[in-house]
Amino acid sequence: MNMDDMINLNRRSMMQQALLLIGATAVPVDMALAAKAPRKRFLVPAQYQLLSALADTIVPVTDTPGALAAGVPAKIDGMLSRWASAETRTKVTGALGRLNAAALAKSKKGFAAMTAAERKALLTDHDKAALKSVPPPPGAPKVSFFTPISYVVDPGYLALKGLIINLYYGSEIGSTKELIYEHSPGPYQPSIKATEATRPWASSGPI
Amino acid sequence: MYDAIVIGSGMSGGIAAKELCERGLKVLVIERGRKIEHGVDYNDSQMPWELPNNNQIPEDELARDYAIQRQCYAVNHATKQFWVKDSEHPYTTPEGKPFSWIRGYHLGGRSIMWGRQSYRLSEMDFAANAKDGHGVDWPIRYNDLAPWYDHIEKFVGVAGSKEGLPQLPDGDFIPPFEMNDGEKLFKAGVEAKFAGRKVIIGRNANLSVAQPQHEELGRQSCQNRSICERGCSLGANYSSLSAALPAAERTGNLTIVTDAIVHSLVQDPKTGKITQVRVIDANTKVGKTYTAKVFFLNASAIPSAHILLNSRNEANPNGLCNKSDQVGRNLMDHMYALTTAGILPQGPKDSYYKGRRPTGIYIPRFRNVTEDADGYVRGYGYQGGVVRMGGKPNAGMPGFGAEMKASARKLGPWLVYISGFGEMLPDPNNRVTLHSARKDKWGLPILHIDCAMGANESKMAKQILADGKAMVEAAGGMIVAQATEPGPPGLGIHEMGTARMGRDPMTSVFNGLNQAHEASNLFCTDGAVMTSSGCQNPSLTYMALTARAADTAVKMLKEGAL
Repeated sequence: MNMDDMINLNRRSMMQQALLLIGATAVPVDMALAAKAPRKRFLVPAQYQLLSALADTIVPVTDTPGALAAGVPAKIDGMLSRWASAETRTKVTGALGRLNAAALAKSKKGFAAMTAAERKALLTDHDKAALKSVPPPPGAPKVSFFTPISYVVDPGYLALKGLIINLYYGSEIGSTKELIYEHSPGPYQPSIKATEATRPWASSGPI
Repeated sequence: MYDAIVIGSGMSGGIAAKELCERGLKVLVIERGRKIEHGVDYNDSQMPWELPNNNQIPEDELARDYAIQRQCYAVNHATKQFWVKDSEHPYTTPEGKPFSWIRGYHLGGRSIMWGRQSYRLSEMDFAANAKDGHGVDWPIRYNDLAPWYDHIEKFVGVAGSKEGLPQLPDGDFIPPFEMNDGEKLFKAGVEAKFAGRKVIIGRNANLSVAQPQHEELGRQSCQNRSICERGCSLGANYSSLSAALPAAERTGNLTIVTDAIVHSLVQDPKTGKITQVRVIDANTKVGKTYTAKVFFLNASAIPSAHILLNSRNEANPNGLCNKSDQVGRNLMDHMYALTTAGILPQGPKDSYYKGRRPTGIYIPRFRNVTEDADGYVRGYGYQGGVVRMGGKPNAGMPGFGAEMKASARKLGPWLVYISGFGEMLPDPNNRVTLHSARKDKWGLPILHIDCAMGANESKMAKQILADGKAMVEAAGGMIVAQATEPGPPGLGIHEMGTARMGRDPMTSVFNGLNQAHEASNLFCTDGAVMTSSGCQNPSLTYMALTARAADTAVKMLKEGAL
């Protein structure tokens, strides 16, 4: 269950509780209202499944939970609704479409319908090809410290992969189970023993 | 009628309020922005994953409302409330001459989001204009300000190490933050190769160890969270809200009005004294005036000049206190973002650190100090750090899945980055003027900012990059990235110089006591009065000038001299 579902569940049960408290048991609970509570998704179901399959392939379950457990697809869907510009939306959904087209061309199956091994094999090539550098298009800003833009074959795929990685490593699971995070580290310790098993802090030091 | 009115509540306004209130004056602070409450209005308790949209501001909103502010590294969802909307606060620049004016209009101003680096200017800086002939001579020298630096450092809490360097005087420090092992390696490499150069820990206004004078204001020791710019509810970093305004408030002498935009100052033509401040209510647009015996202008460099220019009248068509025609001129910033980054392969693999330390390392100026410069005057320092890479992978690198996760959880190599902050010369052509036609939504003329780096800066920028490379390599580093040019002026967020101090009323606006040549009861102690810029982060100097001027003003007031 992802965070959105949990919030919605809480919202529904809270509403029922509130109705009970005000003695409204005789009033039929407006389940239509409750059913509306889940936020409308930006992506259509097929796109959402595709995004989930991609997120699961990029950050799978290992000895730690992966992107699905961290709620990455729902977070990306939410960011496409609330955060992304029209340009970013087009870029990201275009990248999803191109990935699916590559899957269909290779195996007549959509990416979401593939087995984990098939996805991995397809994505290995797709990822490499999509992230290949290209010269900046005419008139594009020069890459610098102020415009840290990468010019690649599929900028939509780069944006999408970036969202998956950023949202996973920025999630509670990514920050505390995969990496380590303390909100208030306390006194600065300038030299501690590191071993092969020491994991990086989720957020680095001074800027 | 107040004894004193302080215009602005930020870096210097907060100190003006404190110092004047503590000397028994009834003080009114006028802040153009809204009220912010220390702690209550900060987002520093939120975990990274609790911030919507991965702590990013929606893209359309960013483009529409924060076209300039977005260039600042500290702008994100958690700090959004502290930056002006550029769409509401426009200014113009000439075609092809951008100026990135980064601002926050609220109680406490930029003292909430500032970078906290706190360095003294030195005798060399105060004598620089006289020595090489740029600008006018500072009317003060280091010794005039030294006791006031002590006074401010003690109150603010500046963590730092004593180094005995003439170009970067030591202060009254609390214990320094410590260097990690990567930084020690870098320091050893640089200092072994270059005898005149030092790598020291950054001097910062974060309480490494809170002292009694800090604790009595409710401030606590730093927890190394490095989210200072969200506002620190621990009060571990210095801000007007954590320290200066509470100190002023406990005297019982402080009144604050917020949402009050200063329109102009009113001068009595007979005595030359300022009698009133005219303000506009930011919400209702209703005008109001306040009167006092003494006035402190602490609106920050550009707005303080704006107020003087907009206080023009028939007798002073170019603005108040502007017979010298220097109000608005000599706008300076520091060259910024001249960054060099490299990997240190010899960095110790078995060492790590704990905590997000709220400061980096600092390399004090050495050009035109211990080493000659390549055809320019003045110099630069570097801020930087050495960190271990690892963690969140780079999406632009091919690879994903279990292998990507496994490699991201391994500690990576040590990365060093150093970024030059170069002194900018005072140039009368770099100036702000009132726009001839456009007005803001309160009916005030907007500003036109015309500013560019000059030939001295261009030459300096080249050597900043060359020296950066040489120092990374001296520590055995391999360069991985380097900037090619400084950021646009303004982005150093050290604007200053627009109403400079000087000895001669015909070439400067304020005298050596920060008193206006043309209005004896008007003092200015923000960045506007800086006669030259040094290469050090300037806030500490503004605060020291403020405390000194407040002391002067109160003595004069008591002697009946105002």
